[in-house]
Amino acid sequence: MFRIEIDRDLCSGFASCVQDAPEIFELDTSGKATLRVTETDDERALGAAASCPMNAIAVFDLDTGDLVA
Amino acid sequence: MHQDPTFWILARASGLTAYVLLTLSVLWGIVVKSRPFGNRFGQAAVVDTHRTLAALGLGALVIHTTSLVLDKTVRMPVQALFIPGLSPYRHYSVAIGVLTAELMIVVYASFSMRKRIGFKNWRRLHWITYALFAGGTAHGLLSGSDSGRTWALAIYICAVASVAAATTWRALEPLTKGEANVPNRNRSGSV
Ligand code: SF4
Repeated sequence: MFRIEIDRDLCSGFASCVQDAPEIFELDTSGKATLRVTETDDERALGAAASCPMNAIAVFDLDTGDLVA
Repeated sequence: MHQDPTFWILARASGLTAYVLLTLSVLWGIVVKSRPFGNRFGQAAVVDTHRTLAALGLGALVIHTTSLVLDKTVRMPVQALFIPGLSPYRHYSVAIGVLTAELMIVVYASFSMRKRIGFKNWRRLHWITYALFAGGTAHGLLSGSDSGRTWALAIYICAVASVAAATTWRALEPLTKGEANVPNRNRSGSV
């Protein structure tokens, strides 16, 4: 299981995350990414974090608390 | 024998250059988050500019400190650049400068560790930039041999006035258009 955080101050609305994992991320009316779920076991969260050009997505392992992406 | 003034001139010029660049970085950081230019500049460019100004300022600090060691006008042992209080020249105000520069490097480096330390902690750490600006101003005014000159004083006054004005503007700004993001922020469950 993963816990996800978005740094919305840094998010620029490139929407790469939404493309990679639309079940987890969406853009809100201000054009910034927002989370549909804060916890998930969907591995696409990792790809989304890696694809964010602003490095604004952090993914943690829920069990260990380790930063994984 | 007459001394070569090159490093002394370089030390003073790079000190003031660092101050101006870091002030611009602070101003940019305070102002741009509220997107005063609308979406004309992408957020990536805005963040990059803020970081680049800070990096250039830190680069100027490297020239400032190196030339102080190489110059013979004031005696500045290498260790005095790293340990506050070791400078024989203007002991206290140089100590403020050393401490400020070291914390500045921590703040700059923390950007790459944002995820690890957590976005919220990173933002909290960023608040000390205001204290660092005050420290840099105090160091420049009290250590700088040009501080008594009108043009140098004008630089300090402009810097302090612009940062104070930007801070006031930023503090008042969320009451108007900045408010729009707040409900979404809560909804996202993120920072
Ligand atoms: S990829 Fe990054 S910058 Fe782009 S919308 Fe998602 S979080 Fe924001």
